[in-house]
Amino acid sequence: MTPSASSSTGPVIEAHSIVKKFGGAIAVDDVSIEVYPGEIHAVVGENGAGKSTLMRVLAGVHQQDSGSVIVDGVKLEGGAKESIDLGVSLVHQELSLVPEMTVAENILLGSAPTTLGFTNFSEMKNIARSALEEIGVSVDLDERISRLSVALRQFVEIARAVARKPKVLILDEPTATLTPAETDYLLEMLQRLAGRGMAIVYISHRIPEVFRICHNVTILRDGKRVSVTAVAESTPEGVVDQMVGRELKKDLGSHRDATPSDVVLKAEGIRAPSVDDVDLEVRAGEIVGLGGLVGAGRTEIVRAIIGADARKSGRVTITVDGKTRIISSYQSAIRAGVGYIPEERRVDGLALTMTVAENINLPNRKELSTAGFQQTKKIRTFAQRLAEQVGLRPPEIKREAGQYSGGNQQKIVIAKWLGRRPAVMVLDEPTRGVDVGAKAEIHRLIKELADQGTAVLIVSSDLPELLELSDTIHVVRDGKIQGSIGHQDATEKAVMSLASGEKLVGA
Amino acid sequence: MAKESLTEQIALTEVVAQEAPKKTSGVGLWLTQNGVFLFLVVLAVFAAFFVNGFGSLDNVTNILNRAVPLGIVAVGMTFVVISGNYLDLSVVAQVATSGVIFLAVGSEYGLGVAALAATGAAILYGLVNGLAVGLFKANAVIVTLATTYIGLGLLRYFSGGSIFFGPPDGPMDVFGSGKVGPVPYSAFVFLGLTLVLSLVLTRTNFGFLVKSFGVNERATRLGGVNTDMVIVGAFLVTALAAMIAGFVFAAFSNTAVSTMAQGFDFKALGAIIIGGTSVFGGRGSVLRTLLGVIFVSVLDNVLTLLGFTFGFQQLALGVLILLAVTLDVLSRKLGQQ
Amino acid sequence: MTQTMELGNLQKPGLGPKLKAFVRRRTEGRAVILLAVISLVVVFYEPLVFTAYPVTLGRIALIGLVALGLTAVILMGELDLSVASTLAASGVIVAVIPDLRIAIPVALLTGIAVGIVNAFFVAIVGIASFIATLGMLFGLSGLAFVLSGEVPVNLQNQDAGILFSQPVLGPLTPRILLFLLVFIALQLFVTRMKAGREFFAVGGNRQAAYDSGIPVKRRIFTGFIISGFVSALAGVIYTLTLTTASPDAGSNVLLSSFAAAIIGGNYLKGGKGSIVGTLLGATALGMLQTTFLMSGIQVPVQNTLIGAILLLAVITDPTSLRALIEKLRSALSKRAKVAPS
Repeated sequence: MTPSASSSTGPVIEAHSIVKKFGGAIAVDDVSIEVYPGEIHAVVGENGAGKSTLMRVLAGVHQQDSGSVIVDGVKLEGGAKESIDLGVSLVHQELSLVPEMTVAENILLGSAPTTLGFTNFSEMKNIARSALEEIGVSVDLDERISRLSVALRQFVEIARAVARKPKVLILDEPTATLTPAETDYLLEMLQRLAGRGMAIVYISHRIPEVFRICHNVTILRDGKRVSVTAVAESTPEGVVDQMVGRELKKDLGSHRDATPSDVVLKAEGIRAPSVDDVDLEVRAGEIVGLGGLVGAGRTEIVRAIIGADARKSGRVTITVDGKTRIISSYQSAIRAGVGYIPEERRVDGLALTMTVAENINLPNRKELSTAGFQQTKKIRTFAQRLAEQVGLRPPEIKREAGQYSGGNQQKIVIAKWLGRRPAVMVLDEPTRGVDVGAKAEIHRLIKELADQGTAVLIVSSDLPELLELSDTIHVVRDGKIQGSIGHQDATEKAVMSLASGEKLVGA
Repeated sequence: MAKESLTEQIALTEVVAQEAPKKTSGVGLWLTQNGVFLFLVVLAVFAAFFVNGFGSLDNVTNILNRAVPLGIVAVGMTFVVISGNYLDLSVVAQVATSGVIFLAVGSEYGLGVAALAATGAAILYGLVNGLAVGLFKANAVIVTLATTYIGLGLLRYFSGGSIFFGPPDGPMDVFGSGKVGPVPYSAFVFLGLTLVLSLVLTRTNFGFLVKSFGVNERATRLGGVNTDMVIVGAFLVTALAAMIAGFVFAAFSNTAVSTMAQGFDFKALGAIIIGGTSVFGGRGSVLRTLLGVIFVSVLDNVLTLLGFTFGFQQLALGVLILLAVTLDVLSRKLGQQ
Repeated sequence: MTQTMELGNLQKPGLGPKLKAFVRRRTEGRAVILLAVISLVVVFYEPLVFTAYPVTLGRIALIGLVALGLTAVILMGELDLSVASTLAASGVIVAVIPDLRIAIPVALLTGIAVGIVNAFFVAIVGIASFIATLGMLFGLSGLAFVLSGEVPVNLQNQDAGILFSQPVLGPLTPRILLFLLVFIALQLFVTRMKAGREFFAVGGNRQAAYDSGIPVKRRIFTGFIISGFVSALAGVIYTLTLTTASPDAGSNVLLSSFAAAIIGGNYLKGGKGSIVGTLLGATALGMLQTTFLMSGIQVPVQNTLIGAILLLAVITDPTSLRALIEKLRSALSKRAKVAPS
């Protein structure tokens, strides 16, 4: 199908100079967008470019700090409810269905038709049925959501949005969890809806999808709009270039020269939810990076490898000093010398209301105690030494971890494991939400760790960081390693191409 | 897929939080966390001046005799509360089981055998509760409600529901009626146990893990901790304390019956919460519980002396629990600011 | 372009698959199994339970009434421990106020007030429901003792009590009829009414409920008011039936009502369960208790068995079992620690 924007009338939704800050940090910076009836408009950008925030502003979920959103000539002011009434429907990224209610009830959640307080089930089913018919999906209306596949849930979610008879339908990464056949179906459905005059805003990481169905594409980078062009006039390469397009890597350190030796961590045939037959090796002194888009399954891969989540099959071993141990559970991984810095440090990494010393003590408690009794003085000197080593500022170990900034909190998490001289260090998004200074320090720590012979496995969505640190980058998509790039050949473009499924570079 | 917007937000808010870390402080926060101190002092001073017989030595003994068994249960149960598992209702059954065993088995086979049997029963309670909550991830309130009835049912069946009397001037009776000045022997047991458990909570790895689990279960597990065993441990500590409470309680009156500890479950929890241990887990101390127990016991005593009956005491305790928890919620909100 | 996509999960026509789909959707499996087992045992062991069904029905009504109200709260993922002393307090109120025409409304209003206070602490102050209702459990039990002067109070109007225990419709006494009425009302509310259906949303995915404009706080208030009102009604019935009110009445209510609700497949974290399930759970327990009663099994043994059933029910929750299976699997594979390398 050749994309052609039908712009005989004015735009159905237009946003002017939207600025959205969280605290003092700018998430969306002076972005404008307009979408016409019948148009499918793509919004693309790297992880954290501000796409989702912009969509939430359009749907009234977030209130913008400045700028305006106008729907069909009416200025939006009153939040999510009013947006829905004016005809803007957002299909959320996270599934917002109630598992034990039926398909029909979920489609009309909170707005079921009633007579005298009693739900009018036949009318409810009629509305739900017509919404499902409109998107061309047939599901048993009385089935409970908990019994549906993930893909079907996604379609029910879309049906809910469609049932509100929107003029503008916003979809945030709807294909992330779908199979190719389901994706095909969804894309055709969107074209059909657009054909009937609905305006569709489509967020995706997947460039081929954009080129298949969209008319225009808005490219965001670091919260700013880089460009808006007609898809017919651009190329996939051009879009990826603009998404990545950093001028110079001036804030970056240089890559170190690695001298990897023996294989320490070896994973074979790992399968788990969102992980599809992954093989992986990390050598002593080597930093292996996992690149890919959010939702590609990188976190799931590392968690399955170290046993933090159950795996269906596969074998993981850690070899230190010629002794090989099988990793069957998280605790056995820790015993074998793994240190793990999880993605959600505030939820998984730190006990925020406990002190720095207590947090550092947690994984080291056995070494810092005698017969189960804590050696207070030993803990104090140990924690103090580590706090200074990681550059915690201020290095006050009796302060609660929650009182530190993001960067400092991450240093505490690193300090927890550093004292164990881990044989394997697994870091998931180690510098997310960390300021530039702390980031450089954390990079230094990771490099030092590798230089001392630790096998490092790192997940990062920050491309420059991944390139700077990694000796080898495995790019993950759909739970699989799609390709591996050595340090010499690694460029942002090469990683992004593999990650988004657009084979631009022969890798 | 699901995380981008969330992490985006977290990322951004964290960038903002770059300024030097703040130390929370303030009179309001101190009051919400330590209000019980003030209440206790005010209550005691008021009672000493205006309530007849409050200050007499006999009354002090009386307060202590009532406070001790409850207090021993409460300091033990503090571990379960700090671990974030609300409470152990089955202490009612545990105290009675222990008391009946000490008097029934003790008078037949001697105290040593009785102590062994009571310890065995306590370990069984701790294991069943702890495994159901830790390993099976079942709700602690419902699990311990069930074990209360299982335990009490068995106890009544085997004891025939009868009251057991110890031999007068037997070792139990001697211990139970013995005093140093106005202070009964049992108070020293209570004090000793409080100090030991306080040490366990603040100085040992186990106590550290109980607290850490209460603050953040997931971070604790990711620290390489077998968290199920921490839960089992917390319920074991509670059960062993309840066993000792059963001994002390039976010794005091030299009698034991399956209904002897009725109301101990909630009253102990009341004392723990009023003492300032957070019912959400993660924050609290054994010494605070000691304070809470003294407060609850003094209040009961004052109300009794003033002629208020059991019903009013219950009523007061209910109101106090709600007040204490409301303060806890408030202090969390203040602490976050 | 009007083709539709077949994504599985479509209901196949025919009675067999329809029945299968129906069974898969229900949450009452455990209650049905327990009820079947108990019925089988009872048929052979103590058939009197069936022939003397008025007694059995009375038992079921006694156990089940509070459990029905409780289910409304559990569906939203909350607990209401105060039901036990709401029952005691309203029972005492009925006995101490001489004129029943005033006493009964006052008692029922007390229940509603209790529900409002509970919901206030849970929804507005933000205290965990278990602890907020614990405070009420205490406070109300105290109130019951204060009002009764700490001794059982006889119902002033004994005739009303005697009348209340007479069958009015076939073998059905007013107690049983009221129980059935509450069951039908709640069943309709939870399965047919918009507000009732939304309890499942509040319990199953509270964020989604907020996002779709469901008044979550109001629903929580409704749930606690239902639970408070029904327990108060149970207290009134209790006093009228026994013609006397004891301030510690309903000491076993917590156990039996939670047992009935949980055996009935109501998931404590909310969002999953049914009123029918609670009825089945109460029926199973009621039959069991009647059997105990008729075959002269002592009360302590009864309590032990019911406690054991509750423990079993709560640890055989599907999520509990899944957690256990995962543990066992990793524990077993831990055996091979050192690989033959």
